[in-house]
Amino acid sequence: MGTVRATMPYLSEIHHRKVIEPNGNEVGTLKDLAVVPQGQFPAVQWAIVATGDGEKVVKWSDIAQEIGHLRLRHRLESVPDASLPGEALRLSRDLMDKQIVDTHGAKVVRVNDLQLSEIEGQLRLVGADVGLRGLLRRIGAEGLAERVFGKRLPRGIIPWHLVEPLDSNTPEHGVRVTVPRTKLALLHPADIADIVEEMAADERRQVFEQLDVETAAEALSEVEPEMQASIVTDLPEERAADILDEMAPDEAADLLQDLPVERREELVELMEKEEAENVEELLTYPEDTAGGIMTTDFVALPAELTAQQAIDRLRELQPDPELTYYLYVVDGQRRLDGVISLRDLVVAKPEQKLADVMDPHVLKVDATASKEDVAALIAKYDLLALPVVDARRKLLGTVTVDDVVEIMLPRGWKKRSSRTLAR
Amino acid sequence: VTRLRFYLLALGPGLVTAFADNDAGGITTYSIAGAQFGYGLIWVLLVTAVALTLTQEVGARLALATGQGLAGLIRERFRVRWTAFAVLTMLVANLGTTIAEFAGVAAALSLFGVPPQLSAVLSASLVVVLLARANFDRIQYAFVLIGAGVSISYAVSAYLAHPDWGHAASALVRPEITLSNAYFLTLVGVVGTTITPWGQALIQSYVADKGLGPRDLGPVRLDVTLGSGVLTNLIAVFIVVACAVTIFPTGATIESAADAARALGPLVGPSATTLFAIGLFAASLLGLATVPLSSAYFACEAFGFERGLHWRWAEAPIFYGLLTFFVAVPALFILIPGLPLIQVMFLAQVVNGLLLPIILVFVMKLAREPNLGDLRSGRVLYPLGWLVTALASAMSLAFVATQVLGI
Repeated sequence: MGTVRATMPYLSEIHHRKVIEPNGNEVGTLKDLAVVPQGQFPAVQWAIVATGDGEKVVKWSDIAQEIGHLRLRHRLESVPDASLPGEALRLSRDLMDKQIVDTHGAKVVRVNDLQLSEIEGQLRLVGADVGLRGLLRRIGAEGLAERVFGKRLPRGIIPWHLVEPLDSNTPEHGVRVTVPRTKLALLHPADIADIVEEMAADERRQVFEQLDVETAAEALSEVEPEMQASIVTDLPEERAADILDEMAPDEAADLLQDLPVERREELVELMEKEEAENVEELLTYPEDTAGGIMTTDFVALPAELTAQQAIDRLRELQPDPELTYYLYVVDGQRRLDGVISLRDLVVAKPEQKLADVMDPHVLKVDATASKEDVAALIAKYDLLALPVVDARRKLLGTVTVDDVVEIMLPRGWKKRSSRTLAR
Repeated sequence: VTRLRFYLLALGPGLVTAFADNDAGGITTYSIAGAQFGYGLIWVLLVTAVALTLTQEVGARLALATGQGLAGLIRERFRVRWTAFAVLTMLVANLGTTIAEFAGVAAALSLFGVPPQLSAVLSASLVVVLLARANFDRIQYAFVLIGAGVSISYAVSAYLAHPDWGHAASALVRPEITLSNAYFLTLVGVVGTTITPWGQALIQSYVADKGLGPRDLGPVRLDVTLGSGVLTNLIAVFIVVACAVTIFPTGATIESAADAARALGPLVGPSATTLFAIGLFAASLLGLATVPLSSAYFACEAFGFERGLHWRWAEAPIFYGLLTFFVAVPALFILIPGLPLIQVMFLAQVVNGLLLPIILVFVMKLAREPNLGDLRSGRVLYPLGWLVTALASAMSLAFVATQVLGI
């Protein structure tokens, strides 16, 4: 406190400022500022000065901010040449006008300006301006627009700790160290999918290599089908197979269907035996039939089990949530005899046999039924899942409501809906 | 079969563009070229075939490497002010094109006695319907099919009229240039309707939205060469030849859609008018389903505004505002009484031709950016791309000099 400081809230306002020596001699203009993108609000550590004979990197601590210009603390020749570490981010070159991920809004946006702020005597990068105001400021029309529209002119600042830079477009010769996208990994897989769709192919590959395999599988399931195939083709085979193992068999099968035969066979070969078998079975059904959209994961129990034994079995299996609500009762040949809802199982007396609790009139479809018919049935009878059987009533799989919603919603709706979530 | 399907995944934008390129303005401009100058401008189509293939490949490479559209790349490389300039250029050119598509609908329907005022309202409603459907892939392909049908009709009609194929072929490689203002004007129109600013934007958006990457260069290049290079210009050649045989010898000029329809006479006789009307209508609608959308998309990508039809109005006001602008302004324009529709369609192509070099300069300046990696335009593509840009610039500057300054 006490000393009057020239405020410099935005990069666009100090960019191209004159840089002078202690005696007032002009030596160049400010070309860029650099930070190491760590911590909540990274400190500005270097200035890049455009001088008569090229760029010179100067430590920010060797510069004093004064009104209208920047003053070096020493003569330019005596200022030591600093060099930027590999992970340094140049604000103007690497961030201005580039795309970033707004991890709060879970979307890709473009940087119109960068907000800086003096915090405890240290100039820090505090936010990315992605609003109309930033854009108007860049063309020198912010003041004018403010006079016309008044305070209604929206501000769109994303605090820096919620920003994840996308760095595929760095016009560098590939020397910048890739910083792991830790903030991206914290998003919901469906949001990661939306963001990944806006990336370059190379960057998408990096993201899917960095994410933990479970998140990667969930995110990949949510990506548009055409793009899924191209991501899997770009990934190293081992990694692709790991992700496919983790995906629901029906999703994995849909994806593999879009790949060239050789690539598909290579990947199935690398997958775990059990997953590979499931997927191969699913691949035999046409894409637009019940068989094509069903998953081979389901809970099937023998009729002679008691309710208590069935619950114990569930505890052991820990099935995925969407597969838990309907439990199918099958005979020795895995023929479908009945269905029990989780609710019925829980309210049944522990010693009651499943055969006595189950509903023998179970709605089911043939594997060759069209997927639209399946969707209609699920909607009509308010089901969470519908079992799929072959001609001999053998249980093959189930179509769950989440698979059907995708059929019923028009393209693009998935994206629209997420904007409605309260954040 | 799977191999083929995988190939078809990438195959597409070039073929769709090929038919979209022969939109209202295209059909009209090629017809005028053939009717007024016979085989005199046919050589231009050989040049544009090569030029279009080159510029589209450069554009496709940009998108394959970065996953971004042209607008986004211009913004990153040239910053806000130049971006504003590029966007303005694109919007002016596209507004002209959209007006031409509206005029195309009006001209087509005029053959059935529908007044242009009614056509304007009808076209505007049709655009809204096309865009309101979240998924208009199928409708789009229906238009492409009709476009293909009409293209084949022109080819057959040209064949039935017994043109002097030898003459046509020699005129293709040995230019028969007429030194006149009208000739030059038509030349600019032919170039402007074949290589378009929106076509450059479209190829990139298409490649980026499909999520194609460096690996897909092969199929994309094949598609661009076959679709943009060969097919677009082959159809144009047939239109020019058909008009050169049927209309040019009569000394008539094309003043209305009915005049242009006569080129299809050898194929279907008195039904030529109906066939031409259907073709022009489908071609215009294909343009209407594409150009306003890609314009709004371009501007919003450049400035980072929410874009795409999956947003609600309140969430993407600028995107929808621009779309509305691109529907309302052309519709109002067509309401002007006594508008010479054919001239409007033709002049819009001239405007496109004049603005083209500006967009090409941006494309070429991006073509060797280091971040493109292996997809940087190489030792052949790069100089040739600049040659195309230089030729287009020379054409525009010469045109401005002769027409505006009266030199």
